Amino acid sequence: MENIIEVTSLAKIFGNQTALEDVHFSVKKGETFGFLGPSGSGKTTTIKILTGQLSHTSGKASVFGKPAATLNKPQDRKRFGVITDNSGLYQRLSIEDNLKLYCNLYDVPSIRISEVLEMVSLSKERKKNVAKLSKGMIQRVTLARALLHEPELLFLDEPTSALDPANSKHIHEGLRELNRKGTTIFLTTHDMGEAESLCDRVAFLNKGRIQLLDEPKTLRRQFAENTVLLELQDGSNITLPGGQEGAKEVYERMASGQVVSIHSNEPTLGDIFVEVTGRELV
Amino acid sequence: MTFSMKRMYAIFQKDVRDLSKNMYITTTMLMPLALAIFYSTMDEVTMDMHYLIINLCFAAVGVFVQSAIIAEEKEKNTLRGLMLSPATLPEILGGKSLVTLVLTMATVLICALLMGYEPANYMIVGGAILISCFFYIALGTLVGLLTKSVVEASVLALPVMFIFSFGSLFLTLIEEYPILSFIEYLPSVQLVELAIEVETGAVFADLWSNFAIILAWIVLASLLTAVVYKKKEMDA
Ligand SMILES: Nc1ncnc2c1ncn2[C@@H]1O[C@H](COP(=O)(O)OP(=O)(O)O)[C@@H](O)[C@H]1O
Ligand SMILES: [Mg+2]
Repeated sequence: MENIIEVTSLAKIFGNQTALEDVHFSVKKGETFGFLGPSGSGKTTTIKILTGQLSHTSGKASVFGKPAATLNKPQDRKRFGVITDNSGLYQRLSIEDNLKLYCNLYDVPSIRISEVLEMVSLSKERKKNVAKLSKGMIQRVTLARALLHEPELLFLDEPTSALDPANSKHIHEGLRELNRKGTTIFLTTHDMGEAESLCDRVAFLNKGRIQLLDEPKTLRRQFAENTVLLELQDGSNITLPGGQEGAKEVYERMASGQVVSIHSNEPTLGDIFVEVTGRELV
Repeated sequence: MTFSMKRMYAIFQKDVRDLSKNMYITTTMLMPLALAIFYSTMDEVTMDMHYLIINLCFAAVGVFVQSAIIAEEKEKNTLRGLMLSPATLPEILGGKSLVTLVLTMATVLICALLMGYEPANYMIVGGAILISCFFYIALGTLVGLLTKSVVEASVLALPVMFIFSFGSLFLTLIEEYPILSFIEYLPSVQLVELAIEVETGAVFADLWSNFAIILAWIVLASLLTAVVYKKKEMDA
């Protein structure tokens, strides 16, 4: 399948600080790819390099088959959308006027405004000045703005970091819908739940290096201990090994009515992250 | 490089809407107007007084407002969005400069009307004022691009405004301090010189050197602006 993003041996050094080192990955067309890492691991730096906002020190970063730094023609810009922590809105203008500007810049009819506002549940706030919005609302407007021109490729830098769970869930549904319709998504997050629920593949980024890269379910299986956890009537929990022996004990305890619940010991992406990097995802 | 009128106009339109709600900018524009009203009550308004006000319009609106609206785009992280959109450098800076051009020329016109300035040749003086305005706007753009916030821009704009708009006040010091002779080549000095000669019946052929010097300043400021923008496009 066609690779939309291709990164090889990418490194970025700021002064004497290495932000990215020997980073390799590629993102296939139609995929949702996640960069999972704690703060300071190099997520934003990667997005900035891929969107031509930052030069890199060595290695290769290409998007749509061209070096990322050369994607500055209007017709290239129409192919991708970006949200990072430096995506600002005009404070004195209404949500509508902010979006109208972008409709004109991207040559999109202004009826799209209603559609994207619907998607981020801000239709009622349309005429409100941005200065009066909460942080979460601003994040949603920024997302709406990045979706106006229905880009083929969307870069999202921690898209739900300022949102409450209900709004995050709504945005996640919207992103899945978008992805179903063919948008390739590259997102960064330090929220393992987000990575798990959205991403086809995730890369664990730690101190500027990718330490693991695969599909979430493959990772979970690979790191799963072959045990089951039983919750018993008397309130205690016991862990049993898989295989013959464990199966026998599970059967006996179930048959005698002691068991309240059974869990397989599948680790979360967060658990795996800690195991691989020795660091928490904060 | 591509240029789309539609995109430039979109930025212009956004800025008009934004500026109409920006008290900081509107009060800045009132300064030359207030001074013009004050001068207009005097018995005789000399050419120097006319141009003191016109230069103040250039400084307060052309340089100051332009630098503030560009610095604000940086401070609020909105410039990055424009840069990542299909809008190109000439479209972004063109749209913003057009707003400032309209504001500056309107302020100059109102001040001139208030003070009863009637040049002997409207074409030449009007043309010279218009191209001077281009220079000050380019200067304001440069100041805005070099700074990171509105406050920083206003601090840097002050000495720049002072040198370029009021340098003519120090013309008399040149004999004593030859190092100051560059003042004669300042666009503001060239403009006043031109305006005075127009009153004595000079025609365009007599004034080409003034125009050429002002144009040279525009070219210089625009080149510097383009270089700074290209540098900031990445890694800023
Ligand atoms: N402009 C910059 N100058 C110097 N260091 C920077 C700059 N931007 C990022 N860094 C450093 O690079 C590292 C990665 O930062 P970043 O990509 O922002 O991480 P993340 O987005 O994962 O939190 C950090 O150590 C940060 O301090
Ligand atoms: Mg970040």
